[in-house]
Amino acid sequence: MRGHRRSLMLLLLPGLVLLLAGFLVPALIMLLAPPDTTTGEVLARLGQMLADPYDLTIIGRTLGLGLIVTVTCVVLGFPIAYLLARSQSRWAGVLLAVAIFPLLLSNVVRTFGWLVVLGSQGAVGQTLVALGIVDEAPQLLYTPLAIVLGLVQLFLPLAVVSCYSALAQVDANLDEAARGLGAGRARTFWTIVVPLSWPGVVVAATLVFAGSITAYTTPYLLGGSRQRMLSTQLFQYSSSTIDWAAASATAMIMTVLVFGVAALSSVMGRRARAS
Amino acid sequence: MNTRRPVAASLAVLGYIVMIAPLFFVVITAFTAGSTVRFPPDGFSLRWFEAAVTYQPFMSALASSLQLAVFAAVASLALGVPVALAIHRGKIPGKGLLEGMFLSPLIVPELVVGLALYQQFMIGLGMNNLTTLAIGHTVLMFPYAVRVTGASLALIDPAVEDAARGLGASPMRTFFTITLPLLRPGIFSAALLAFVTSFNNVPLSLLLQSREFRTLPVTMLDYVQQNYDPIVASTSVLILAGTVLVAVVAERTVGFAKIFGGINR
Repeated sequence: MRGHRRSLMLLLLPGLVLLLAGFLVPALIMLLAPPDTTTGEVLARLGQMLADPYDLTIIGRTLGLGLIVTVTCVVLGFPIAYLLARSQSRWAGVLLAVAIFPLLLSNVVRTFGWLVVLGSQGAVGQTLVALGIVDEAPQLLYTPLAIVLGLVQLFLPLAVVSCYSALAQVDANLDEAARGLGAGRARTFWTIVVPLSWPGVVVAATLVFAGSITAYTTPYLLGGSRQRMLSTQLFQYSSSTIDWAAASATAMIMTVLVFGVAALSSVMGRRARAS
Repeated sequence: MNTRRPVAASLAVLGYIVMIAPLFFVVITAFTAGSTVRFPPDGFSLRWFEAAVTYQPFMSALASSLQLAVFAAVASLALGVPVALAIHRGKIPGKGLLEGMFLSPLIVPELVVGLALYQQFMIGLGMNNLTTLAIGHTVLMFPYAVRVTGASLALIDPAVEDAARGLGASPMRTFFTITLPLLRPGIFSAALLAFVTSFNNVPLSLLLQSREFRTLPVTMLDYVQQNYDPIVASTSVLILAGTVLVAVVAERTVGFAKIFGGINR
């Protein structure tokens, strides 16, 4: 028994050292005692932020856009997953691969596409001008719409995967049974398919929301300095203004939000399984 | 697509357009003969591909990114496989808590991890950015290694290992001749996922960059802010082609969908 415990320790030790020294300890020091700053100063800065209209706008924008992106990803991702999970076609596999593939592709590459589409010389603006609908290409970049489009593109594959793995476990015969008993297509969908795959929807929403409120590349490229979000603001504090207290306070807000979402999701997931 | 479910089908089509259309425009822009990113593109040429592969900052950043990704994948597996073994095969009290702790780098925002390492290691301890990046990427890829190899370990019947032990093999020998070969698909999936995730990472690599060593995505991000020529489009197409190649290899070996299935469940 003692030998067992010693070999377990040997297996865990290198990983534990990496986790503690390379992540937990530096993160805690950064959050609570950044260079030349006391914990009190960080907390005071945090209090100021939560009362300052400018900072509250950024927090509100981050949460608001995150919510819009989450709802959009579920509304678009669930039908994709549903149709693919129920399809008999041999194209379903190919379409699933096409939906998953972007997960492997660089965010910079994916987001760059929107600069080509939404820029003043871009496809949307030039098409509108060519059709005579507008005289001058409208400002589409550096707007909340651009950020939402970019983040939906980024996280939709994640929503499809989560919904698909839940839907694949729901027996398609249940749909048939409900239909056979006289339920309409819509009624079958809302009373059978959605409730049974709900845990997958909760997972999808959690991953998308947590990803959206912490993403950096997309708000940086598509929102710029006009549409600051928590992540771009955090980078600003840590690299150009070097305001350690503000950086730590912003990092705290982001971390608390993400852990809050994860906790909420695990409660919702447990409740969904219990009912 | 499916005319019996018009609402679902139209939402699905819209979803695919949002996912794919921007990439289509990147590809079109990459082949322009003009010198600005605009639509419609001015003529057809391969000049921007030539420009991309001869542009020194991008090519040296590509080499840096590849080196870092290989290191992070190997190091995270070397540390992660033993942890997965201990969690799934050992009798540990508080197993769930321990596993949660090992997966925590996945939950904390990457930019926060980047800031912590930048501030504490590079500024505080004066470490160079290459070492800090290597540690940071290994930390970030570590949860993938633990989770994916753990999921694959859970599928291996411990009775096979017990049989080897019963026949007199040492724990070491049992691991190398029985467990490791059975674990190969899991290790391959984890390595692939870690490699790709490290290669694509921005938030961590952003704060930990230096003039001598910066990754390709960070270099491209910087370039886009200063210039508006199609070299980023052609480089993006090259990355796209490389990623398709990785996806094809993944599909032929362990199955493409399975890799991500392992992450979400």
